[in-house]
Amino acid sequence: MQWSPRAPRDDVNVSRTHPLSEAATLFGGIALVLVAVVALAWAVVEVAVRWMPYDLEARLFSGLRPAWTVADSGAEDAALTAERRAALQTLLDRLVARWPERPFALEVGIVAGDEPNAVALPGGAVLVTEGLLAQSGSENEIAFVLAHEIGHFRNRDHLRGLGRAALVGLVLTAVGIGDATAAAFSQPFVVLAGRGFDRTQESDADRFALGLVAAEYGHAAGAAEFFRRLPDAEAGVAIRVAGWVSTHPVSADRIAALDAAAREAGIATQGPVTPLPAPLARE
Amino acid sequence: MILTNTETVPGRTIVEFFGVVSGSTVRAKHIGKDIMAGFKNIVGGELKGYTELLQEARAEATDRMIAQAKSVGANAVVNVRFATSSIAAGAAELFAYGTAVRVE
Amino acid sequence: MRELEVLIQLGVPAALLLLAYFTGSFVERRHYASIRLRETRVRKFPLLAFREVPAGWEVTESALMTGTVVVSLDHFKRFLANLRNLVGGRVTAYESLLDRARREAMLRLQESAFERGYRAIVNLRLETYQITGGGDAPGTGVEVLAYGTALKLARRPGADA
Repeated sequence: MQWSPRAPRDDVNVSRTHPLSEAATLFGGIALVLVAVVALAWAVVEVAVRWMPYDLEARLFSGLRPAWTVADSGAEDAALTAERRAALQTLLDRLVARWPERPFALEVGIVAGDEPNAVALPGGAVLVTEGLLAQSGSENEIAFVLAHEIGHFRNRDHLRGLGRAALVGLVLTAVGIGDATAAAFSQPFVVLAGRGFDRTQESDADRFALGLVAAEYGHAAGAAEFFRRLPDAEAGVAIRVAGWVSTHPVSADRIAALDAAAREAGIATQGPVTPLPAPLARE
Repeated sequence: MILTNTETVPGRTIVEFFGVVSGSTVRAKHIGKDIMAGFKNIVGGELKGYTELLQEARAEATDRMIAQAKSVGANAVVNVRFATSSIAAGAAELFAYGTAVRVE
Repeated sequence: MRELEVLIQLGVPAALLLLAYFTGSFVERRHYASIRLRETRVRKFPLLAFREVPAGWEVTESALMTGTVVVSLDHFKRFLANLRNLVGGRVTAYESLLDRARREAMLRLQESAFERGYRAIVNLRLETYQITGGGDAPGTGVEVLAYGTALKLARRPGADA
């Protein structure tokens, strides 16, 4: 047997594809598929939301309602809190009366929190923070916020947000994005999938709220007041999101849009402002 | 190209030997196979998807080894050994190596 | 300004990946150059996967020798591997890694045997292990172990036909 040392081919065990182009192709392909799946999920949610009847929603999510009784019982002065909630509820009922459809009863509750915020929960609950009440200068302002939330109910926005978040979360879990880098890349997708209400939904709710408030008070004064005050409030709020993924329109834009919508609908933006009812003013 | 996992090629004589040649490939399974395997974990039975995947990978590793053997002028590879190792969950390396020889 | 935040959110991981790719490929090319050079030096000494000593060799001494190396994954390779895990197919990022690691381990085996006066290695075996990681993540790196029986010979192999 003769020993003949020879060098075998070097390149057999290594592929010739350039890693950067491979990474780009893979990433682009996967991103496209993900976008398609998310778009499909949105379409499915849209159909489901349009179809769902109001009473089904009320029944499905009635479990969410007792939330504010917890908040109530956590307050220092139970009687005061009950009074304040009653005053809010009266205000809400007056506004709901202006909504012809009125599919089910809406209830309002107060939760602790220094930031002014209001949220509509599926099933007919509206939650308002202490901070919101503290920051409001007139009844008209609170009325506008409540009417805005009624608008979300009418547009079924909260259902949409829930459905989208659930479906997209399901897809992402199935794909199993565990790597930190991939997770970083998927953040924009996740935010886009609508963890909150997007800008169109917000402006639609604004427009609806204008109509309700105008029907109740005869004008829309006070609506913009709240947003003019918001920049000071936002300074204390840690919402730092990029503009195009922000789920709330910038205050200045919002005020401008409100004024424009009011002009379109022939609603006056000035008028006598009703002061806060006594229980709510005591903050 | 003759492949054996014995010292010699039965019935032939080794005339010249050239050194070690090897072929390897790293394959990952895709998400669909993962999900099917998840089901099979509950039900039991052969994971056909994986079997095929590993067969393909082994064939490719062997082909690469043969290509290296051809490049040194061998007509047989003796004492072939296979090794499988998991490089990460989801990716496995198939590795084949042997000595490239010329037989007559 | 808000658009800038999104750019940063997407751009920083991308920049890190690119950085990892360039440094990784530089390190790889340097390693391959070193490997090729050292391979030409040790090539004349037999390295075989035979289990037994070829007939005609006079062995004076034998010993078990090993060569090991642990090669690490860079950030870019790990990212590619994760993408591949979704789609399936050949994980090219690992191929060069393992090729390098294997050849390096074999070189170390041959070099350490040669330093001690051994002139041939038979029954070469190669083992590959994943280092750390665990669970679903690609690990930190890969260890390759090359071992075989090193022989001291009375005469140079190939001196007799």
